[in-house]
Parts: sequence; C-alpha cells; structure tokens
Amino acid sequence: MTASQIRGLPVVTVGGGEDVAEVRDVIYNPEAGRLVGVTLNKRGFLAGRHHEVLPAEAIHAVGQDAIMVLDESSLVAPEDAPDDVGHPATERNVIGDDVLTEGGTSLGKVADLVLLVGSTGEVVGYQIEKADGGRGYIPLPAQLSVSGVALVVPNITEEFVQDDLVGLGATVDEFRARMGLT
Amino acid sequence: MTESFRDSSGRKVMSTASANEVGSVGHLLVDAQQRRIVSVVIGHGKKAHLVDWAQLSGFGPDAIMVVDEDALRPPADDRERAATEGNLELVGKRALSERGNELGQIDDVTFDADTGVLEDLLIGDRRVSAGSLLGSGSYAAVLDESQAPSP
Repeated sequence: MTASQIRGLPVVTVGGGEDVAEVRDVIYNPEAGRLVGVTLNKRGFLAGRHHEVLPAEAIHAVGQDAIMVLDESSLVAPEDAPDDVGHPATERNVIGDDVLTEGGTSLGKVADLVLLVGSTGEVVGYQIEKADGGRGYIPLPAQLSVSGVALVVPNITEEFVQDDLVGLGATVDEFRARMGLT
Repeated sequence: MTESFRDSSGRKVMSTASANEVGSVGHLLVDAQQRRIVSVVIGHGKKAHLVDWAQLSGFGPDAIMVVDEDALRPPADDRERAATEGNLELVGKRALSERGNELGQIDDVTFDADTGVLEDLLIGDRRVSAGSLLGSGSYAAVLDESQAPSP
C-alpha cells in the first residue's frame, strides 16, 4: 500500500476497539527507508489536528483498513517523542524528488511511498511519475543517498521498474538479493 | 444451553423476588478480554439500567430472571454509559483484525446461557471462535487474525 492510502486511516486500539485518532500524514526518514511515525487528526465531525503523534515503534500493525496500536498510551506528545517524530525535518519530504540512477538516467519523480502491508512502516519502494506522465514503481535498497532534490539509485533499478504494486511486491526480494542485501 | 445475542434481544426481564416485569433486554455488555457477558442493559438510552450477570437467577428462553429489582442500577462509568447508548453492541459491529484489516460485520454472537461465556462470533457466513476476541469498543471488535482468517 502507499503512504497516501494511509492518510485518513483510523488509529484503533487492539485492546479497546476504539478509534482514538486518524492519520494526518506520515513522517518518513528516507535514509533509513522507513516511516518514523505519523501525525494525527482527531476523529469525528469536529476533526482537527491532534496534538499527539504516533511514533513507529508504538505501531502494532499498518493494515489496509486501520493502523493498530495496543492502547491509547501509544499516542505521545511531540516533546515526549523521538526527535525525528516530534520535530521532523521538513526537507525530508522526498515527494517530487528526481530519481537518478548512478549512471545518470532519470527514472522519473517520486510520487508516493510504498509500504509493506502488515509491517510497522518499512518503505520498500516508491511510486514514480515517469517523464511521459505514466506511473511506475521502483524497489528500494535498504539504504540510499538523498539530498532533498534528488535521490540516487543503483543502475539495476531501471530493470526493476514495475507497472503496478503487485509487480513491485514480487520484485523487492529479488532486487535486494541482486543488491546483495538479503 | 447456547443462546444468541440476536435471539435474546428484547426478551423480557423479570424479578424473581416480586414476579414483576422490570423491562426488556436492550444490550449485552461484554468484557472482551474475559470473553464473557458482564452485564445486561435493560432498556435503551438515558432511562436504561444495568444488571450484573451475577445478579441473574437465570437467563432463560422466555425470560431473564433478576434476583431482585434492587439489582438494577444506573451506569457507573463512561463504558457503561456507552453501553446503554448502544455504542458497544457487538451485533452489527465492524470486525477488525489486529493486523488492521477489516474482516466483515458481526451478525450475531452465541454464548452459554448458564455462564455468560461467549462461544462464537458469526461474521457473514463464517463462524469464528470467541477466543479470537482481543478487544471490543465503539469502533470495532478486534480479532486475532490467526484464529479468524480473512474472507
């Protein structure tokens, strides 16, 4: 699933069955290739920004229909959260960044983040908007260099550009094996 | 004897001591961790009362018998107030796996009428052991997906 599918999902307690918040936005650490947490909105008609945040370590599971937490204490005030969650650096946003291979070929621009379903926030790929306007999906190595305007991926990434999420899911392991990362 | 939430809804509640009818079953309040009914909500909304399971002399096919009318009490906390408003009713509730995936809607719940212990959850055409229940609240009943496989 993608980061934009996570926005708006309810945050539900496993033990209580209560929807304690909903996802406002994801906080992403591109160097680590994972979500470090999510910011929250309140639930209900008087919805507005929720003061508290949800660090990734407190996420029980990211599902198709909800983000699960054990209980309400998983939501913490920004000042009590790890720095990269409570005070995320704004230049960390990779959306719109150019994806360049080490050989200097542009694969497109980052349109969305692709997460492993059922994980606690591992980002396994990016949805990209190609130069011709079409959509594609690229797998990510566990680590890569990012600058805030562009990110550089290995040359073999070009061979692994997929047309859909299903294709990406099938190719991530193979890609990482080729990279010697698994 | 096995009873169901749907079948017992609206059943009359009688006092064993006075033989008076004290109301009818509005909701059954469940403790998800204990997987059992903890109290019976009599009536709905602001006028609703609760009777703890231990105060029943019988949960019968024709009537629920309360030892005494004094056993009826108003809701004592937020959770019980939510129960009287029907917000915690399991029947009709969204079933969510603890992995965050929707499994369907709970159509009915069966339980042992002698003990109040939950037996099965009926979700669509599937029957799932109540042992998979991890939590239950106003938004969803949360189930252990390994015991309640996705449709």
